[in-house]
Amino acid sequence: MQDNKSYMIRGEKLIKICKDTAFRINKYKVDEFEIFTASSVENEIEIFKGKIETLSFSDSIGIGIRIFKDKSIGYAYTTVLDKSSIEDCIRKAVSNCKITGREDYNYLPGEEEFTFKQKLIDDKSLFREDFLDYNIESKVTLAKRLETLTKSKDTRIVDIDNVMYNDSISETAILNSAGFCDRYKTTTCFIYVNAISKQNGDTSTGDFFGCGRAPGDLDLEEVAEKAAGRSVSILGGKKIKSQRVDLLLDPIVSAQFLGVIAGTLTADSVQKRKSLFEGKIGQKIFSIDVDIFDDGTIPDGLSSKSFDGEGVIKGKTCVFKDGCLKTYLYNTYTARKDKTLSTGNAVRASYRSTPEVGISNFYLEPSDIDFSLLLNDIDRGFYVMDIIGLHSGANPISGQVSVGAKGIWVENGNLSYPVKEVTIATDILSFCKSIKKVGNDLRFIPLGGYIGSPSLLVRDVAVSGK
Amino acid sequence: MIEDRLTREILNTLLRNGADFSEIFAQRRVFNNLRLEDSKIENSSSGYELGCGLRLWVGDSTFYAYVDSLEKNKLLNAAKVLSSAINGSSSLKVLNLTETKSSYNTNIKKFPGKVNPGSKKNTLEAVDKSSRDFSPTIIQVTSVLSDTEEEIYIANSYGAFSFEKMVKTFLAVNVVARKRKNVRTGYKSLARSSGYEAFDFKNPENLAREASKIAVDMLDAVNAPSGELPVVIGPAFGGVIFHEACGHGLEADAVMKNASVFKDKIGKKIASDAVTAVDDSTLKYRWGSYKFDGEGFPSSKTVLIKDGILQSYIYDLRTSKKLGAKQTGNGRRQSFRHVPVPRMSNTYIESRDEDSGSIIKSVNKGIHAREFAGGQVDPVTGDFVFGISEGYLIENGKISFPIKDATLIGNGPEILKRIEAVGNNLDFAPGFCGKSGQSISNEVGQPTIKVSKITVGGTEN
Repeated sequence: MQDNKSYMIRGEKLIKICKDTAFRINKYKVDEFEIFTASSVENEIEIFKGKIETLSFSDSIGIGIRIFKDKSIGYAYTTVLDKSSIEDCIRKAVSNCKITGREDYNYLPGEEEFTFKQKLIDDKSLFREDFLDYNIESKVTLAKRLETLTKSKDTRIVDIDNVMYNDSISETAILNSAGFCDRYKTTTCFIYVNAISKQNGDTSTGDFFGCGRAPGDLDLEEVAEKAAGRSVSILGGKKIKSQRVDLLLDPIVSAQFLGVIAGTLTADSVQKRKSLFEGKIGQKIFSIDVDIFDDGTIPDGLSSKSFDGEGVIKGKTCVFKDGCLKTYLYNTYTARKDKTLSTGNAVRASYRSTPEVGISNFYLEPSDIDFSLLLNDIDRGFYVMDIIGLHSGANPISGQVSVGAKGIWVENGNLSYPVKEVTIATDILSFCKSIKKVGNDLRFIPLGGYIGSPSLLVRDVAVSGK
Repeated sequence: MIEDRLTREILNTLLRNGADFSEIFAQRRVFNNLRLEDSKIENSSSGYELGCGLRLWVGDSTFYAYVDSLEKNKLLNAAKVLSSAINGSSSLKVLNLTETKSSYNTNIKKFPGKVNPGSKKNTLEAVDKSSRDFSPTIIQVTSVLSDTEEEIYIANSYGAFSFEKMVKTFLAVNVVARKRKNVRTGYKSLARSSGYEAFDFKNPENLAREASKIAVDMLDAVNAPSGELPVVIGPAFGGVIFHEACGHGLEADAVMKNASVFKDKIGKKIASDAVTAVDDSTLKYRWGSYKFDGEGFPSSKTVLIKDGILQSYIYDLRTSKKLGAKQTGNGRRQSFRHVPVPRMSNTYIESRDEDSGSIIKSVNKGIHAREFAGGQVDPVTGDFVFGISEGYLIENGKISFPIKDATLIGNGPEILKRIEAVGNNLDFAPGFCGKSGQSISNEVGQPTIKVSKITVGGTEN
């Protein structure tokens, strides 16, 4: 099987690709340009009933070229890096400039526009050498162990329909004509399990995941325990009457709600009048004193990077302080429009896309309140363990939210009986106001960025059932 | 795309250490994307991708690798590395390759590469203007126009190969309307497996006005009701209910892993008599249509449910072999970077004879759902949701007020039995479906249907 020696770290090669491409672009009459090169080596393993179901290897690279000409921007990418494909790519990017609208703010970022002036995260936190100690066999063993472990957690677990492990070494380099030229590399790994349980004719599923910078970070015991627990605790779940009740949101659920809020805090959505937070800087949005940060420099934050998608240094931005909205998130283009500095939030999903505004590690600061105390605070309510349909049920522009939910009914501070096939409905601004307490159990989930929240106690929300 | 001799050499290299099956999937893709927002073209990008996925099977295990290249040395080297993931020996060899035939043929008229970029820009500007002209309450319009031209070559160790040129055109309009504090959105898309003649099928400016109309009509929406109610689901995108409540559960990988509520139900009654449902990848130029699936099998029409009785699952090669069933040509993948899995193509409920107006009249108090934001299902339990983005109250058989967005939640097997009425106005709508980390194109479809009782996730008791 593949051993660690076959991991290809490209290192300076990416910079060389950028420089060679820059040399070619210099033959064209353009005002400015930027070259973004990214590569990744990935492994993915799926296990079913103790055997490898799928094992895949991938190694990919691509470059994206942004051309600035007459205050217009054109973009093109290619995954084929021979001379003629790169020449084609440059020509397409140049000709795409003719189509896009002119805008005075269209020029490359200068260092004076960075909020953060020096790198705040070291390369060793992003790229862990011990990642290379794990060969394919040891990763297969890891995934197989999670399957056995999850099954052993409860006799009612009848099948494990999916165990998936994947990891990657990603490398990124940016070179632009304003003088920026740098690169970084990261390691990440992720493991997931979905457990099927049965009892008295009822079937239930529960999943959980673990992630980190190296396989050694994955706590299989915890992943197995959580997946099994989430599956069996919903067995025999029933529909409840439609009513308004207090909700206790599991961190996995809170983080998903927080993700919807995060999407509306980009300066891009505000400037385009698509954000509920337009014109609300300085206003108290939450009724309690919550703090929310976007921090691209957390050592074990999976969205941490040395610099963002246009080469601006990543830092930590306080978005809400004591429940008040402090700032939106900016790239340089949107920052110029608002006469402020970039917060280092230019995000690129890959070399296929231009830098948009987005979150990095985005989290709600935990308190010191234990989960049990939050539970104790509920007379009649619903402990929401999982939600379904967030992408179709939450409209970040109108703010309306209606999603499917399952969990456990709470009576006088005690977990009572399982509930399923109900929905919870609210709107984003009311939701922010109805958060009354925050727990101490902060957990991050990888969801478009790396989003973290503790358990949240939310008062008086509409639940629909019978 | 890869010459015959090299294909056989790669397939045999993949087989040599004891594999039961090997496959090559080569793809060349040219992509263009334009986005208009704030009444100007904000983004114009182009992409070029080329690569090859290599797959082999040993027993129940699949091994996969890909390279971003079609160069001989790189392909052979990747085949060697992948075959060394297993250790055995094999006498299997590919000697001849025969081209697979498909009954699905297209005649593309306006290839994206031949369409002037300036006219693409004009289309988006016309879309923007039509949307905004619809009402002064419109405060933002985002429209996207993208096209792809692809070549796909697939060959496997059974000695079959296929080649397909695929062209796709996609236009979407997202409109934001605002009245006082109420902000509402409207979305419409036009997506065809064809060139720019897609716009002869549907006029972009009409599409723009339809999106605006939804946003504007919803400005006066009242709170949606909560609890169990009868729901009349409109044609076209309404088919998302079948896609989620049943379609995913019929995909044979879930069945094979004991992870579908519809396991062991072939020949059994799973829906009301009124339901006949079909997956058909041969519907000309539809978004989910193709000549060959992601494994080189010809597209086909598969009756899934006939008068309420389950007829077939949706198979790819692996699951059809494992379950001893007939291949349905539904092994699909996002690109050469992905392993094929069973997926729906164009999936719909067939028309019956009821008039949609009389279906609405038959409801005393309920909901009429016309447009949707998509849905999600847990195939293991059959529990599913789908979000209404344009809905109305029905009171005494008449449509009354628009309602705010609400999610409907139900259990697939239960809901299928509650489909009481099926109309005569079958229509389709395109979309994207995500599964196993892969996003692919498909269409949903249905005439107007009535579900006697489903939980509506509103806020009004």
